[in-house]
Amino acid sequence: APLGFTDVNLNSRNTYEVSRRRSAPEHLAHGGTAPAEPAPPPQEPAERARHRVGIAGAGSSFAEFFTRNFFTKRTKELKPAAQSAPGWKLFGKVPPRENLPKDSKIIQQEYEARTGRMYKPPPSSARRKNIEFEPLSTTALILEDRPANLPAKSVEEALRHRQEYDEMVAEAKKREIKEAHKRKKIMRERFKQEENIASAMVIWVNEILPNWEGMRATRRVRELWWQGLPPSVRGKVWSLAVGNELNITPELYEIFLSRAKERWKSFSETSSENDIEDAGASVADREASLELIKLDISRTFPSLYIFQKGGPYHDLLHSVLGAYTCYRPDVGYVQGMSFIAAVLILNLEEADAFIAFANLLNKPCQLAFFRVDHSMMLKYFAAFEVFFEENLPKLFLHFKSYSLTPDIYLIDWIFTLYSKSLPLDLACRVWDVFCRDGEEFLFRTGLGILRLYEDILLQMDFIHIAQFLTKLPEDITSEKLFSCIAAIQMQNSNKKWAQVFASLMKDNKEGDKNHSPAPKS
Amino acid sequence: MQKHNQKEHLYKLLVIGDLGVGKTSIIKRYVHQNFSPHYRATIGVDFALKVLNWDAETVVRLQLWDIAGQERFGNMTRVYYREAMGAFIVFDVTRPATFEAVTKWKEDLDSKLVLPNGKPVPTVLLANKCDQGIDVLMNNGIKMDQFCKENGFVGWFETSAKENININEASRCLVKHIIASESEPVQSIEPDIIKPHLNSSKIGSCSACFKS
Repeated sequence: APLGFTDVNLNSRNTYEVSRRRSAPEHLAHGGTAPAEPAPPPQEPAERARHRVGIAGAGSSFAEFFTRNFFTKRTKELKPAAQSAPGWKLFGKVPPRENLPKDSKIIQQEYEARTGRMYKPPPSSARRKNIEFEPLSTTALILEDRPANLPAKSVEEALRHRQEYDEMVAEAKKREIKEAHKRKKIMRERFKQEENIASAMVIWVNEILPNWEGMRATRRVRELWWQGLPPSVRGKVWSLAVGNELNITPELYEIFLSRAKERWKSFSETSSENDIEDAGASVADREASLELIKLDISRTFPSLYIFQKGGPYHDLLHSVLGAYTCYRPDVGYVQGMSFIAAVLILNLEEADAFIAFANLLNKPCQLAFFRVDHSMMLKYFAAFEVFFEENLPKLFLHFKSYSLTPDIYLIDWIFTLYSKSLPLDLACRVWDVFCRDGEEFLFRTGLGILRLYEDILLQMDFIHIAQFLTKLPEDITSEKLFSCIAAIQMQNSNKKWAQVFASLMKDNKEGDKNHSPAPKS
Repeated sequence: MQKHNQKEHLYKLLVIGDLGVGKTSIIKRYVHQNFSPHYRATIGVDFALKVLNWDAETVVRLQLWDIAGQERFGNMTRVYYREAMGAFIVFDVTRPATFEAVTKWKEDLDSKLVLPNGKPVPTVLLANKCDQGIDVLMNNGIKMDQFCKENGFVGWFETSAKENININEASRCLVKHIIASESEPVQSIEPDIIKPHLNSSKIGSCSACFKS
């Protein structure tokens, strides 16, 4: 597989696809068709299968991300017929029962044999996995005789142990049953969610995308949009929503890419360090930028193992970022960009990813941050605080008491559009609605996170809050986060985000005026 | 066993230096005792807390501010320097340009931050990734001492987050200087003479840091 990946480059994505196909060719035909789904349009199955097979080849964590995301939940709950569909089996997880502690089981069996009480499987309705209802701990050890060098148990003691053991078993079984019910419920919910995604996909493909301009702002589409975009249309919808007001064409991308390549070539030919001192400051900066890109690419989603050197998307990420520094030398490369470009590359073809990237970074908020326009950033933080106080007054005061300012956590969140701080699947959902609602949603998401963890944060002091918010828990779920985001009102005494922000801008109008977005090409 | 007469110090320490020199790795090694080659780039600032039982009477809590290395963020991260009591400036021995940047970082730090007594904050220089077999510094120990003296570093250490070399030592050195600068706020202290013991299997230290 690594060989197949190394020749992924620029316009050779077809090669890559071939190699991806090779990694699981026999599953391709079925990969995209889930039995429960209504029949998708013809190009769909191949497209999705391609994605999935690629994932299988790309390394386990990446596969895990996607399976966790969209596929696994299904495998466990599906009816037998569905389970035999190879596309699903490919990503199935090993059921947890395999790692049961054996010795306690053996002890228990021995005990049962001794006492003549055979373990009876629960009635047929719960027969699914009777192992689940056995105690999983080593409590059965209590039934063992003492080692020979110790006095033996008395009859009463043995009896008492047996009684205690029975109680423990009963207790454990109760617990297990409760947990099993909980698990089942979660599975059911996930299954439902998967079905929703599948049917949403049909609506997006057949109804919305063909009538994009007419439908994008309708209530129905906006509501569907909030639920999360089906992965197969995600890139397309992002592209459409971000737009292309810079009028970048794939040809233009190729031009900037070849410029970047020339620069890399001359950069590597002149043995770097000595020349930097001689050259003018701007050249040094630009060349440093190229080095920064190199350094940062390996530090972009390192756990996915696909952007690192030798990984399938390494060169692609390099190209998009390099071309951008040539396209916008006034902005250059800024840390955080590699994460944004990476998420786009995961969802779009190369040139489309670049077009979306350049247009996304040309939005006023992104431009302010990536140019590190400090006074503008402070305006955004101030607007954020207005809604922070409005929505979470208690937490707001708590943060104030520690002089914990929003820049401490917002910089990371805004610069990477949450792709570094949230699990990738969740970050994509934030991006979905960010594409719908614009910059406002980034700040609303931040408030949603604060709301989600409000109770914990209220118990913490400065350093623990700072640590917590710069490294959020990994088990954060989209249901919880999005219900918290939904509960955030972006309304401050009848003023909406844009108005609050505009009035903050007016307050300090004497500040410099060179914040206008870049000229359009 | 918390004693009643125990003193507790809380120090904010900055960890600064060029991008990719290993600031995050050093902190992870120091605080969590582990190393991974796969840390993500730091955007803005990250935090860590290290508690040291300094001696029988003293507990030291170190608030570590791991600040993003890209020069562009300079303006923005200046606010993070506020109220820091000490700093590590880190460079990567395998990339000479990151050493060139050290004086820039030091000047930037001193221009934005002084102790209440008007002195620059104690700063220790870390030559990181010394495990990568580059001995450029080994032969330049005296030059490095001179460099530290000229640029106002209280000490320097060759460190490796990967191999866990000298990180605890460097921190003890810095804390020692912070405690010293706190206890003698007015009196001017001659800069220490730094004598890293470069020959003794990469264990560096500085003269002020031997705990009696």
